[in-house]
Order: sequence, then structure tokens, then C-alpha cells
Amino acid sequence: MAEELVEELLEEDDSDSQKGKFMTFQTGKEYFGISISYVNEIIAMQPITPIPEVDNYIKGLINLRGKIIPVIDVRVRFKMEPTEYTDRTCIIVIDVKSTVIGLIVEKIEEVDTILDDDIVPPPSLGHKEHEHSKYVYGLARTGNRVKLLLDPERLIKQEIFNVLEDIQEEEQS
Amino acid sequence: MAEEFNTDSMLSMFLYESGQLLEQLEGIILDKQDEDCFDDADINEIFRVMHTIKGSSAVLMYENITKVAHKLEDVFYYLRESHPDDVPHLELVDKVLAVSDFVTGEMDKIKDGDNPDGDETQLVEDLDEFLSRIKGEIKKQGIRLPKENKHEEPSQFYITPVAENDSHFYRIVIHYRDDTQMSNIRAYSATYALKELAEDLLYSPEDILTNEDSSNTILMEGFHILLQTKSSKEEILDLIDSSEAEKIDIEEMTANEYGRGLVEFGMGDPSEFIHLEEEKKEVKVQKSTQKPAPGDYIVKAKETGKGKTLAKNQHKQQTIISVNVEKMDALMDLIGELVIAEAVVLQNPDLKVPGLELGNFQKASAQLSKITTELQEVIMSMRMMPLTNVFQKMKRIVFDVSRKLDKDIELEVIGENTEVDKNIIEHISDPLMHLVRNSVDHGIEENTNDRIKLGKPEKGKITLEAKNEGGKVYISVRDDGKGLNKEKLYNKALANGLIEDRPMSDFQDREIFRFITLPGFSTKEEVTEYSGRGVGMDVVVKNIQSIGGRLDIDSVEYEGSEMTLVIPLTLAIINGIVVQVGNSSFVIETASIKEFVRMDNDALVQEPGGEEYIVLRDECFPFIRLNERYNLSGSADNIEDGIVVVLEHEGNQVCILIDKLIQEQEIVVKPIPSYVKKVNGISGCTQLGDGSIALILDIAGLMLTEERR
Repeated sequence: MAEELVEELLEEDDSDSQKGKFMTFQTGKEYFGISISYVNEIIAMQPITPIPEVDNYIKGLINLRGKIIPVIDVRVRFKMEPTEYTDRTCIIVIDVKSTVIGLIVEKIEEVDTILDDDIVPPPSLGHKEHEHSKYVYGLARTGNRVKLLLDPERLIKQEIFNVLEDIQEEEQS
Repeated sequence: MAEEFNTDSMLSMFLYESGQLLEQLEGIILDKQDEDCFDDADINEIFRVMHTIKGSSAVLMYENITKVAHKLEDVFYYLRESHPDDVPHLELVDKVLAVSDFVTGEMDKIKDGDNPDGDETQLVEDLDEFLSRIKGEIKKQGIRLPKENKHEEPSQFYITPVAENDSHFYRIVIHYRDDTQMSNIRAYSATYALKELAEDLLYSPEDILTNEDSSNTILMEGFHILLQTKSSKEEILDLIDSSEAEKIDIEEMTANEYGRGLVEFGMGDPSEFIHLEEEKKEVKVQKSTQKPAPGDYIVKAKETGKGKTLAKNQHKQQTIISVNVEKMDALMDLIGELVIAEAVVLQNPDLKVPGLELGNFQKASAQLSKITTELQEVIMSMRMMPLTNVFQKMKRIVFDVSRKLDKDIELEVIGENTEVDKNIIEHISDPLMHLVRNSVDHGIEENTNDRIKLGKPEKGKITLEAKNEGGKVYISVRDDGKGLNKEKLYNKALANGLIEDRPMSDFQDREIFRFITLPGFSTKEEVTEYSGRGVGMDVVVKNIQSIGGRLDIDSVEYEGSEMTLVIPLTLAIINGIVVQVGNSSFVIETASIKEFVRMDNDALVQEPGGEEYIVLRDECFPFIRLNERYNLSGSADNIEDGIVVVLEHEGNQVCILIDKLIQEQEIVVKPIPSYVKKVNGISGCTQLGDGSIALILDIAGLMLTEERR
């Protein structure tokens, strides 16, 4: 399944045809979407080398054809309980402003076309935990499901922010 | 687009070529700086270098470079032809270096994308004046413009028939249509026809009959004829077969213009080719009489040879191509992958099925392994560059500084052929320059009498030596100067508050010498232009440490000092030992491992604060449990079950506990992705033969964090 999607992606390596297309995946009960322009490829789960002294959602490093990239577990990132990895667990390799990162997701769903008009900003009065809304920039309704659209840049930015905080803490202590 | 690309490649070729030529030039000059004059081979060589630079800069319209090169060419042309006796050699050396500096400076501007706008007037005037002075020794005719001399050049090989009063001089350019076949033959028939009425006839390209390629040149640039005749334009035009010609330009000119028309046209001076051949022989003879210092011989021979091909025949294929480093890195990554893929195939579990006939497979796989190993070696060697260029710079520095300071110093260079990774070369140039300056400035005595009193030769000597030993490169700068005075160093360090107040006997010699690398230390009372400001040695050390090297200082007072840079051969690959802790693999650089020991629990000492020490042979070392340090599960807690590794970094030692040793191997260092924040004590990562990733331990970082706790 993953291979098919990759092929699909490769064929559509054109920014125009990528517009409005989202890679959707399931983590926990929720469905998420990432704009396909960020997605490099999807690979099967592989052995991960843990790195000491990092945040728990950074699972470690994988070897992607000679390139060593960090992988983060989306579940842990969203403060959900980690689960065992299964056959369906995949790594979505995304490239955000030249930072290549793998996202561990439970199940790849499909490539979906979502029009701009169908995207609504997350309701600000809702009961969503604060954490979620940091990465979700919009909700989209396709079929009978609501998909949470992720902003990968915010995922990354968050990281750098955290690191900065850590450094500052270190300096203070 | 295509055109743009073309000029681009021409430009980079020009920069590359000229850079090479200038280096070669400086090499010659500095080799011969102490002699009385240049020998013929050198003069020819310098002449040729200038000629080539002049030509190529003219093509790219860098006028100032062209002018300067042209002037110097004039000077050497004169030297070559007239063999004057009383040439002030040192002044000449200065002039050549000045030109070389000027051109290098302009080339730097071009490289940075600026316009080469340096003012050449002063330099040209100087050269003019110099030339007329050396000429004056013979001719006593006051100032004559060297330009005239230059343009007499063709007359050395071609004697123009005496022009009669009613002769006319013409410059004829025939442009053939682009699709003209065999334009060289047509050109020849034109010259043949013109011979009837010619008193004198010259044409370019010259080798139209023997060289088929000349037809392309003619199509591109036109066929140039210089004609001296009594006939009129019309008569000439009649004679030339104009059937295929697109345009025929006939221009009348004066006798004078005619005389130099050849050179301006770039009709080439036939002398150059002749001389090149001779030169080559001469160079060979000279080489064989030289003492073959180790390393020297090969490099020089190679260099001259390279220069020759570049200048002599532009059409020949280049023996060197420049490649984008990114492509090289990509290739290296791919080869790394290939090696791993190979391991996956050859150790595939499918092969372990009992009863398989694997004879042929084994043979084939042995062949495969051999090729991949060779491939790895080749890619590594591609990144390696000889130190020749760096050493060349040092020669120049010794020359400049020693003359400024009025010290008589000889520089000996050993092993400049030693190869080092390109990245490292970029890092060592500055530190080395600093060390060499220091040696010239502080090392060698100011007063030659001091040297004579000590029974040393009057002339100071600095030795620059590079050698490759056990995966490290040693580059040493050795002088036979006054050496370091330990007492002085100690007192100074104490006075500046750089060290604790301990008696001098507490320190080892090397430790005392190392004081000079402390920030804010300078024993030199006066600050000179070159050194002595007290910044520097600490920067040198910092730079060297940043590439994983170190600086060793040895000195005997009154006899001299030796500063040795010890640097890794390459940054990209280290020799490491793979160890296992729990489920994780780590790599430790082999060079920093002192020993592996099995320990009893008795050897472990625990402080009430929880800190642990290992007592080994009555010495006490700090002890780090890697599994606790990095929260790794599934590893041995009892040191009797594990292995203790003693690590050393800059004289400090530490012990770590690991589970088991896997193997020693070459490790391709890769950085930890920047997304992951820096982990203390981990300097990078690498992939192992089975494709898994191991983290590389950074001993210095490990010690640092341990201290902080």
C-alpha cells in the first residue's frame, strides 16, 4: 500500500497538481492530513536507533539510504499513550524547509483532495486540548469524517523553540 | 543560456589555469631567490607563464591583467634574447612577485564576482623603468619603450624584406561562409594567388595545409593575411577567389603597423612552440641533476608537466577536471550505501539454508567485495590533496618576512607531497602560516653574531616537514634559532596570572612550552608587524583542535624549537571501535582508547556523593557508566560482567563501562541531524555494516559534562 502511494506521489511531482492534495493518516481515533508538498516518501517501519537525552517523542535516528534522519512519534507528540508498532505502522518522511524528518504514524489512509473552501479554522472555543491546536491549522470534512490538517512548519518551529528554551534553562542553572 | 554557460566555464578555466601558472611561477621564483640570476629554463618558463596569462586574460577582456602580464613578458623576453649580465636579481624577483600578487589579487576579485579594477599603472611604470634600466646597461640610449622591443619580436624569426618606397601594406581578412567546406584549402589558394604580386606575405593560421582543424579556426575567426605589395587594393581583390567568401576586408596600413600586425593578430610567435620543445628537454635535464628530496621530486615534475599541456595545446583534453564537492559527497554516500547493500546480500539469511551449493556464489561475491573495497579507496583518494599549495604559501611568507626583518633564512621543505583531506587543508593553512611567521620572527636570532657565537651557521634555517604516520599527518615547523627559555615562559605566565602559583619544578617541559598557547601570552616585549601581539598561538591551537588535531611544542634553548601539528588524515573517516551497551551501539575513536580491562568489583571506589572511581595500577580514574549516563536498558550493571575502557583526551583520562566489543572498523562520520538538539558526549553518528546506526562518542564532551556534575 505504501509503495503505491509513493508511486502516486512521484508521478505527481508537480506543484500545481499537488495543490489541494493531502496525505491523510490515522493516529489514535483521529484522522490527520499533511499537505503533499511536504511529503518526500513513505517507508515501512525500520529499526530505530534511540538518542539519549532528548524529548521522549523523538524516537531516534533511522538510516534512509545513507541519509540519517530523526523520527518522531506522532502519537507521543500529541500526548497520547504510545502503542506497539504493527505491520501497518509507517514512517512518513517529510521535508520542511530542508529539514528532513520522519513521522511515525499508525496507519496511512489515502491521498485526498481537499479544496480550500472545505477547510475551516479549528473552533477556538472548543474543548480541544491546547496542545492540539498548536499544530492543527484547519479542519476539513471529506466524506463523513473530519480530518485535522497539520502544519508541519509549526511542528518544527515548536521544536526549535523547545531547544532554545532548554538552552536558556541551561544557562540560567 | 548556452552562451552564459560557455563564458562561465571559460572563466573558471581561466581562473584555474592562471592560478596554477602563478603558483608555478612563485615556485620558480622562490626556488631561485638566493641565486645570482635565473637560468634559461626559468626565464623561458616565466616568459611562457606570462604569455599564457596575457593571452587568456586578453580573451576575457581583463585589460589590467593583460597589460601587467604583457610588461613582465617584455622584461623576460628581453632577458631571454639578450642575456644581459648585470640584472639586479633581487629586484627582478620583487618585480615578478609584485606582478604575481597583482594578478592574484585581481583574480580574487573575479572569483568574488567583482570587476577586476585594480590600477595597474604604477606597476606597469615600474616595470617599464626596470626594463629600460637593464637595457640601458647595454644600449645607453635613455628610455626606450619596451613596447617597441616587444614588437620587434617577429623579426627574430622572420626578416621582412626591405620595404621599397612605393610598397603598400595591407591587412586582409577573409571571412568564409559558415558552411564552407575545406576553407583551409580555399585560404591556401588565396595566398597562392597573392604570391604573384607579393613582396612579402604572412598569414594566420599558418598551418592551413597540414592541419585540418585550421579550417574551423578560419571559419570562426576569418583568415588573416598581411601583405606587402606594390599593387593596389583592386588588384588584390581580383586575385582572391571570392566565390565562397562572405566578406573580404582589405585595409591599408603603415610599415610599422605591419611589423607588429602579427603579434596583435595573435598569429602567434613561432618561437613559442620551438622553445617549448627545447624547454622541455632542458627541464628534464635539470630535474635529473636535482637532488631528489623525498616528496619534492614527483610533485615538481608533475607540476611542470601539467603546465606544459595546459599552455601548449589548448585542444588537448584537460587532464584535470574540477568537480563540485557536493557531487563527490553524494558519490561517497552512494558508495557507503553500496557497501551496506553488499553486506545485506552476502550475509543474507536466505543463504544459510543447509545444503545449498554456493561455490559460484562465493566466487562472485569475492569479486564484488574486491571491487567495492577498491571503489571506497578511490573515492577517499579523490578527496585527498597534496600539501604542495600550502607549503608554497609558506615559502612566500618566509621570503617576505625574512627580508622585511633583514634576516638571512633558508627554508627547507620535506614531504610536500603528503596528501590530506581537502577539508583539512582549508583549516591548517592559517595556523601553519602563523607558526612559520613565529619561527622567522621569534625563532631565528636577530643578530647573526649570536648565531656564530653558538657555532651555528650564519644563515638561519627553517624546516617545514610533513609526514603521514599511523592515520595522522604530522606537519612540523622546525627552526634552529634561539629556542624557548623555560624560566622566561614560566615567569611570564605567572606574571600574567595565567597559571596557578606553583613552583616551576611542578611543570613538565612540555607543559611549560604549552604556556605560549594560552590566551594573552606573549614573551616578545615588542610587537612587530608579524607577530607578538599575544593573540595567535591560542587561536592556532583552537583552529587545530576544531579539526581534531593538536599542537606539540618541543624546544631546546639556544638550539631551536619545533612546533608540530598533528592532524587527522581526514575528517570524514575515522578509525573507530564499535562497542555495545545494552541494545545500542557506540563508536569510540581508536586513537583515544588507552586500553580495555576486565575489572573486579574491588577496583571500584564509591564516594558518598555517588561518584565512582576506578583504581587501576594504583591510579585513580573517574568512572562513567554509559548505561546510566544515557538511560540505556538491558546492560550490565556489574563491572565484572562488562568491560572497562580507559580513554584519554589531552592528557586527561576517564574510564567508561561497556557491555562488549563488536569490532574495529573505518567509520564514516555523519553529523547528527540538526533537528535533534546537541547531545553532550555524542559528536556524530555513523551507519554500520548491517545498516544500523551507531552514535560516536565525543570523549572531550563526555569529560566536560562529567566535570560539571
